[in-house]
Amino acid sequence: MKSLFRFLVAPLLMALFALAAWSAEPPRQVRIGVLAWQGAEEAQVRWSALMDQLEDKLPGRDLVLRHFDLDGMAAALQAGELDFVVTNPGHYVFLEAGSGVSRIATLIADASTDPAHVVGSAVVVLDERRDIRALADLKGRTLAAVSQDAFGGYQVAWAELRRIGLNPEQGQPQPVFTDFPMSRVVEAVLNGDADAGVLRACLLERLEQDGTLRPGQLRVLSPRADVRHCRVSAPLYPGWAFAAAPGTPPALSRDVLVALLSLSPDAAGQSWSVPADYHPVHELLQDLQIGPYAFLRETAWPSLWERYWPWVSGLVLMLLAWGAYTLHVEHLVQRRTGELTAAMDAGQRLEAQLREGQQQMDHLSRLSILGELSGTLAHELNQPLAAIGNYARSLLRRQDSGTLAPAALRQAAEEIASESERAAGILGGIRAFARKRDRVREAHDPASLVREAGRLFAGMLPGVPAVAVHQNAETAGPKVWVDPLQVQQVLLNLFKNAWDAQQAAGCDAPIEVSLGRDGERCALEVRDHGPGLPPDERERLFEAFFTTKPDGLGLGLSICKTIVEAHGGDITVTAAEPGPGLVFRFTLPLADEAPADSRENS
Amino acid sequence: MTASPDMPVIHVVDDEAPFRRSLLFLLESVGWQAVGHESAEAFLAVAPAFPAAGGCIVLDIRMPRVSGLELQRRLQAAGSSFPVIFMTGHGDVELAVQAMKDGALDFLQKPFKDQLFLDAVERAVQVSLERHASQRRQGEAQDILARLSAREREVARLLALGLANKEVARLLGISDNTVHVHRQHVMEKTATGSAADLARLILRADPRGLD
Repeated sequence: MKSLFRFLVAPLLMALFALAAWSAEPPRQVRIGVLAWQGAEEAQVRWSALMDQLEDKLPGRDLVLRHFDLDGMAAALQAGELDFVVTNPGHYVFLEAGSGVSRIATLIADASTDPAHVVGSAVVVLDERRDIRALADLKGRTLAAVSQDAFGGYQVAWAELRRIGLNPEQGQPQPVFTDFPMSRVVEAVLNGDADAGVLRACLLERLEQDGTLRPGQLRVLSPRADVRHCRVSAPLYPGWAFAAAPGTPPALSRDVLVALLSLSPDAAGQSWSVPADYHPVHELLQDLQIGPYAFLRETAWPSLWERYWPWVSGLVLMLLAWGAYTLHVEHLVQRRTGELTAAMDAGQRLEAQLREGQQQMDHLSRLSILGELSGTLAHELNQPLAAIGNYARSLLRRQDSGTLAPAALRQAAEEIASESERAAGILGGIRAFARKRDRVREAHDPASLVREAGRLFAGMLPGVPAVAVHQNAETAGPKVWVDPLQVQQVLLNLFKNAWDAQQAAGCDAPIEVSLGRDGERCALEVRDHGPGLPPDERERLFEAFFTTKPDGLGLGLSICKTIVEAHGGDITVTAAEPGPGLVFRFTLPLADEAPADSRENS
Repeated sequence: MTASPDMPVIHVVDDEAPFRRSLLFLLESVGWQAVGHESAEAFLAVAPAFPAAGGCIVLDIRMPRVSGLELQRRLQAAGSSFPVIFMTGHGDVELAVQAMKDGALDFLQKPFKDQLFLDAVERAVQVSLERHASQRRQGEAQDILARLSAREREVARLLALGLANKEVARLLGISDNTVHVHRQHVMEKTATGSAADLARLILRADPRGLD
């Protein structure tokens, strides 16, 4: 008998073991906990359809539905008794922080709803209560709600009341908790036990639809214009969450998610969507200092210290270290700043010397041009001086002969005044040209600069050839960013050279100036009809003190080069085509790319 | 200003308006009648007649388009008897020399003293009057000689050269008596009493009349 038992029982046990091993891979049971906020019976009714649908979508799995209250669900998660939970947004956030669950889907009211804006609150009053028009009028009233823990049923409205400066915790308004179901809140408002009541979003519409309430019997306070499908008094928050427990295998989570998303909407039109961002719920709970943020209410120092002492100690240590580091860096910065300041001072001195040298060179060049033009300048000055002398002598003669009429005196005096002003103007022009001056950069039309230089040139020397300006429509328009006087100095130099060259060749053809574009710069060409120069002399033209003229200083073109380079350009000389003659070409910066009007002092 | 016919007129041609006006003012200060012109073309457009009381032109040598020298040439070609005073600027001495060769009366280098200028104008007006007077005398002499017949003019020229009646008769191939009659007519028509008077009359009408 003993052997028979062994013979029979052993294979049975082995079979049982084998069965157990087979059933463990994969786990057939999927344990889902739901928040039963209106009692187990209600929850069974509400979620059974979902469970049936899910079971269809997950063949080979055995779905087990369990109901919990808020604390019970947390405890079950802690014990590892659940694979998934379905709960309201506020509770989800609490569990996320405390039990490490992670959402895989969010419940939405219908396909068009944004998962992040599903749950909300409507604060209702009897329509005839004309003394309560908006949320702010609730101060000193009573407010019915199902429970302090209800998210859409209380907390959302609570947060909104706080936002407008009311505090139900201090009885403004005084909350009256009726417990579930929410129909009790409606009753409390209807029979006057409470001045107002909090309903979750869209419940009012449903009650009006099924005839429980007469449309317009209850009025929603401070309805939000940005929510269309239901009347609400506060912003909408994400819907209920379907979340996986921390130990749930990712493959299972994925399968359940796929199943949830492929479900068709239930009888109430609700369906599951991709998980929403629950951050606004966090903020709300933090603001209300409830759920995971309930500790914020513990303001007693000892409890804070108990909770945070490692952090506080760490922070103090870090502050100390940071202070020491800052002192060290400050010391280093001061030393380096000193070194840098010294280096910059030296650099600035050098730069100032260079600039001074260049300005002296400019000055010398202008003086040399003035020297060459002095004869004609004297002539220019002689005209007004001679006129003044004539008037003065005439007045004396008339006075002596007793024929001085008041009108004549007036005419002469006016002429003398205007001629002396003219002479002063000529002198002022020379002085402005000859004196040392600051660097200037201004926006100017290049064609106007050329024409102005041409006029100066014609006025300074008798019998000079004309200056012809060639400019096409493409190059007209953009201004150049220059020192106008320096550019005129370059042009006058080139004109003077051109004329000298043409006089040598006995030619009085116009000097030709062409304006063009060279990339982002303006290009100017000055062409003469002189005899030209051999290539080796052309190359040396821009050297200081190199000259081909018997009375020349050899500074003009080297100054031109300095000026053009100070404008960031270059100056070149080539043989004219067709010859003979030379073409001087230089470029100037366009005003567009330069900064707004600025003046750099030396 | 309207020029009065019994006064000399000074024309000032200079493109530099303030300076031109100052010269006019100066000229008027000493009682001259003066007119300004802004260019050679403007002067030629007005083409002022030479006044019986005399006058002159003060001309800037360097002007745009038609220069002072060119204006002087055109005036001479038109037989103008206006004397010309040139004003020159710095470095225009060569031009001034050319102007003198071309018959300018005087030149002043700017800037000039007012007295120098007024003296030059005074001289020029004097010259213009002399020129005008000599022109008038020449015209009168020509008018007198025009009254003679061709044969009488021939006889008068030979008599003015100091030839006797017989020599004139032989040269012209006519009788002594005929020469005597012509001589009587010439003396009556020209109101001259001697061969010497006759010679002066002929030279007044044409300085080269006895060559």
